[in-house]
Amino acid sequence: MNKTRLILVLLTLVSLLVACAQPSTSVPEQPQQAAQTEAPAQPPAAEPVKLVIWWWGEQEAPGAQQWLDETIAEYQKMHPNVTIEAVLQSTDSLIPAFQSAAAAQQGPDIQYFWGGVWTLEFAWGGALVPLDDLIPAEERAHYINNFERTYDGKLWGMGWYLSGNPMVYNPRLFEKAGIDLNDLPDTWDELIAACDKLNAIGVTPISGGLKDGWFGGWLFSILARQNLDSEKDFMKASIGEAKFTDPAYAEWWERLHQLKEAKCWNADINSVDYQQGQDQFVQGKSAMIFGNDTFLKGWAEIIGWDNMGVMRVPKYGSGKLADTYVVTAQGLGITSWSKHKQEAADFLMFTHTPDRLNAWFKYTGVLPADDRFDTAQIDQPILKQIFDWVVQSAGPNLENFIPSMLDEQANFTGTQLLFSGDKTPAELAQLTEEVIQKWREQNPDQLQNFVNWYTK
Amino acid sequence: MSLSTSRRYKLLRQIEPYLFLAPALIVIGLIFAFPVVRLVMLSFQRPFQGEMMFVGLTNYQAIFKDAVFLQAVRNNLTLLISVPIMVSIALILAIFLFDRIRGWQFYRTTLFLPYLLPITVVGLIFSYIFQLSGVLNDFLKVVGLERFILDWLGSTKLALPTLMFVIVWKEVGFGIVLFLARLMSVEEELFDAAKIDGANWWRLQWHITIPQLATTIEFFTVVSIITILSWVFGYVYVMTGGGPGNATMVTELFIYLTGFRYNQMNIASAVSVILLLVTGIFIFLELRLRERSTTLEEVS
Repeated sequence: MNKTRLILVLLTLVSLLVACAQPSTSVPEQPQQAAQTEAPAQPPAAEPVKLVIWWWGEQEAPGAQQWLDETIAEYQKMHPNVTIEAVLQSTDSLIPAFQSAAAAQQGPDIQYFWGGVWTLEFAWGGALVPLDDLIPAEERAHYINNFERTYDGKLWGMGWYLSGNPMVYNPRLFEKAGIDLNDLPDTWDELIAACDKLNAIGVTPISGGLKDGWFGGWLFSILARQNLDSEKDFMKASIGEAKFTDPAYAEWWERLHQLKEAKCWNADINSVDYQQGQDQFVQGKSAMIFGNDTFLKGWAEIIGWDNMGVMRVPKYGSGKLADTYVVTAQGLGITSWSKHKQEAADFLMFTHTPDRLNAWFKYTGVLPADDRFDTAQIDQPILKQIFDWVVQSAGPNLENFIPSMLDEQANFTGTQLLFSGDKTPAELAQLTEEVIQKWREQNPDQLQNFVNWYTK
Repeated sequence: MSLSTSRRYKLLRQIEPYLFLAPALIVIGLIFAFPVVRLVMLSFQRPFQGEMMFVGLTNYQAIFKDAVFLQAVRNNLTLLISVPIMVSIALILAIFLFDRIRGWQFYRTTLFLPYLLPITVVGLIFSYIFQLSGVLNDFLKVVGLERFILDWLGSTKLALPTLMFVIVWKEVGFGIVLFLARLMSVEEELFDAAKIDGANWWRLQWHITIPQLATTIEFFTVVSIITILSWVFGYVYVMTGGGPGNATMVTELFIYLTGFRYNQMNIASAVSVILLLVTGIFIFLELRLRERSTTLEEVS
């Protein structure tokens, strides 16, 4: 055999093996281990730094892209050695893409997260580092809703902006139906009476879309809270110290069923998705929606602020949560594999400087998750109302405090089955309990994390 | 010295082909074998306190107790009903087109067109058509057939048949083209001889067309079964998301949700292994059929 040929073949083999070699993909570190990450002894290096951000948010806070582009440009101007690449993820790819990144321990330096379990599952899996060693305590103290991302005494992400769930109504249609705008429905019976009046004039009272499931989770978060006092109650049922068939937990299915029987909802709720359901309100086809305050500015640009009003969700229960306004802080976290953790933290802090907070509100009309935001900027009465609710009576988004399997297989699926008429409220409460039992059996590790989260 | 050189030379000659093959084998191993081995390993493990622990068949036992997984399997099996429907429709249309009815070339293109469309596009279009307030129901209302207005995608009883209709609509074009291509290669003399012998149209189809198409029908049937078992994710994801109430849940979507929504990669791996095995059987069958078909062609 020709020696040169042999050497060539061997070289090819070696280079192939080298090219294919991957960094070790051992089991990700536990939070306890990740927590030991220490802040660099020196300030951020002046050597070239590239930060990658995978984010989401333009979908629910239009204008976020423009703000982020501007923020990055300003930060890069101040720090010429830093380059930031922002990748907008779709709703469906946000979690899967990051899961793949976490498995490979390669990916963004900064990742977008919804609150609660959506963040902490990744902290438990070792994909995130706590911010405590990277961001000073006095800075962290300004962030709103830190409780959603706190585990084991550490903060695993930074709130970016607030997303709340008011009931949005169309004042023109209310007036047409004879509903007094000075005496809006605030009990369940009054809500059903309002549905009757709206049906009488041929208007769909409330619209929603369950086809893609997400709205089922919203309904759970907005309605199931009313008999209970805290998000801890739902964690308690998740870990098996209470049952989702207990009347306080199960009543919401009955209440939702009442609304269905009173023809409060659009008939096509099961065959349209979340966005289409919301669009029916904007198109003037329905009088109310369980909305999201991040969309208010966008809707106002289409139908005008005068054609919208916000009210609290009518009450049927007497738990402490019944009086709260559902709000969560959507946030950002720093990945455990990032080579530039401190630089990433510096950029996150920059997004919370007064100028950036005010610019955020200007671009999106959405409240930033920081108490240093200049509230004098809020000149719209509806947004002022939202701000007052956030300040006076903010309550947790319950979807963030239950396992995602429960959300999907009980709330998403259950609401569809309720509206298709296949299951009764009692059967749906039973389904919920069965799903959580299955989750506990299949996920002993996650269960232990939930137990720790609940007890600590 | 010269003997040793000769031996070394002989040895090198022996291993040389393997060295040339090695890069390709390594690439194939990394692309195909490694993920499969990793998948199988994951299916026997579970995370515990940050470590992956071997748990034997626990994940497999868990999925066979899981009502949603069993529903997904039932739905996949129900969707298999569409296979004979697809084969029959494709066969009938191919025979008509082979008879060169007026405008057959136009029909052939039109019937094949759905197969070329991306599944997401097809899914979106049919979602709008089949919504309760969608195009189909609007049409039924206009023509006075209100009693046929149904919640095609929002009803647990109708969603799966509606999905099946869309799958048949899109996939049947492949069968038509496949059958037609085979028929085009059948010698005309066979048909002419039968006609001279007095065979009518039915007898021509029964005794010539269908026997000639036998291996192609087998091939299309197996490919369609594989499609239904492991390629319907796109339709389900776009049109129904597995709902309402898991009425259209299929194993692929179950794997996706379990792995990426519930963060249970090990259970998702166990389901994937099962799906891989079942699909593997049909892929093996398909390969055998292709092999047989080639042999038959060579003999004839």
